[in-house]
Amino acid sequence: MALFNKGPTHNASRSQPESSSKRWLREHKEVAISSWQRLWLTPFANLLTWLTLAIALTLPAALLLLLSQAQHLSQQLNQNSHLSVFLAPYISQEQGQSIANQLLSRPDIANVTYISADQALLDFKASSGLEDILDSLTDNPLPATILIEPASTPLSPEAVAQLAQQLRQQNQIDQVLVDMAWLDRLQAILQTSQRFTYSLALLLSLGVLLVVGNTVRLQIASRKQEILVIKLVGGTDAYLRRPFLYAGFWAGLFAAALACLIIQLGVSYLHPSLASLAQSYQSDWQLQGLGWLGSLLLIITSCSLSVLGASLTVGRQLRLIEPK
Amino acid sequence: MIRFERVDKNYHDKEALMGANFHLPRGEMAFLTGHSGAGKSTLLKLIMLMERPTNGKVIVDRQNLSQLSRAQIPAHRRKIGLVFQNHQLLMDYSVFDNVALPLKISGYNERDSGRRVRAALDKVGLLDKENLSPQVLSSGEQQRIGIARAIVNKPKLILADEPTGNLDPSLSAEIMRLFQQFNQVGVSVLIASHDLELIQRLPHPVIQLNQGRLSGPLCVMGQ
Repeated sequence: MALFNKGPTHNASRSQPESSSKRWLREHKEVAISSWQRLWLTPFANLLTWLTLAIALTLPAALLLLLSQAQHLSQQLNQNSHLSVFLAPYISQEQGQSIANQLLSRPDIANVTYISADQALLDFKASSGLEDILDSLTDNPLPATILIEPASTPLSPEAVAQLAQQLRQQNQIDQVLVDMAWLDRLQAILQTSQRFTYSLALLLSLGVLLVVGNTVRLQIASRKQEILVIKLVGGTDAYLRRPFLYAGFWAGLFAAALACLIIQLGVSYLHPSLASLAQSYQSDWQLQGLGWLGSLLLIITSCSLSVLGASLTVGRQLRLIEPK
Repeated sequence: MIRFERVDKNYHDKEALMGANFHLPRGEMAFLTGHSGAGKSTLLKLIMLMERPTNGKVIVDRQNLSQLSRAQIPAHRRKIGLVFQNHQLLMDYSVFDNVALPLKISGYNERDSGRRVRAALDKVGLLDKENLSPQVLSSGEQQRIGIARAIVNKPKLILADEPTGNLDPSLSAEIMRLFQQFNQVGVSVLIASHDLELIQRLPHPVIQLNQGRLSGPLCVMGQ
């Protein structure tokens, strides 16, 4: 039992050899547990840090979520875009019908609806309530129209514009209307928002690094004496770094969990109003939450950022503490 | 065990050590003495690699310390048990955890570590205090905890910087007896102390430091 009871004492080998990987795992488990326990020594201060990190994560994550769904929606709307082709006034009903049939044979057109000038006038009378005025007209001012539904595979805005251009070149066609301008604008807005969100994500990631770095710096300062003694009895840098990296990991994990919670609350708060908005556009679009994959991605991002933030600070701060 | 060859150490323009030569053979116990500010701490710091010499060679356990990189310092320090005047115990650790610290750093598992910590505490006579905080112990007991921590890793060399500085004569003698016991089982011991009265009663060589210069029986160049 006694430490120095016999013979040379220079033998540093352990009585029970342990494989290095097993030892590595055991040491990490011990540090993970002790750094976890340390969290609850100052729960309030930690909660504040986690909330700060969570907000920094929530903003870009929620924006990215919203954007990806808005893009999906805009693609859906793109699919539903129609072209209105107005035929020249001299085209007879039979000619109009045959033009419609010719168009239907094109591969990039899924469906056509021919509306004769008379039919158009009747529809207009019924919907506009201008029956008296329209009756007083001697001529039908409305042209015959062909409504074109582009091929069912989603056509890019460029392809739709090209189709419209080709149709315009036909003599019998007076005018082609594509209600694409607002979709183009929507695309442009979405692209701008995307860039904005990426910049914001970058900035707030930097914020996460700084917050974690500063927290770790304070933790190191408050454990200076311990670090000095550990250095004097031969603790390696890796040994000294480990608890702070784990502290960063836990902070990242809790921050991500809080961010997921905030986003989920936000989604359930926005859901009814967005659903009724979508319904007014005859869309069954629904705002989705992060889902398992999204949450996992958020957790991985948050933990990596926090551990990175901790490791960037810890090395430099530990070098500043040297036994004198 | 320790060899200094023409070691100079300057702090800015102040010379703390000048041409220091000495050799502490393996298994030897010696005292390092001198008035305060004579350079005792500097000499110990050079051995611990808390400082690097300005000139000259420091060799510990056949290793020339100038060849060690920063990353190799921890492994070097683990070979040495260090005892401080102010014991440097961590007050928010229990006695057991304080003594177990060097073992934890070396990656011992709980069972081996527990056995060794209790053996070390037994050796300094404080086995029954393992669960207490060092704060509730007397200064003599705190110093013995510091010694238990220094020996728990079975070092080949023990360095002590004024280990009896804060203790009364009877406690001091007791502490010195502990070091002698370690020395009897083969550990090299170097103790910096200015307690001349105590030192002169003990049969160990004394190295004297005066104004940065060493003198005494171990201070000859040779071998």
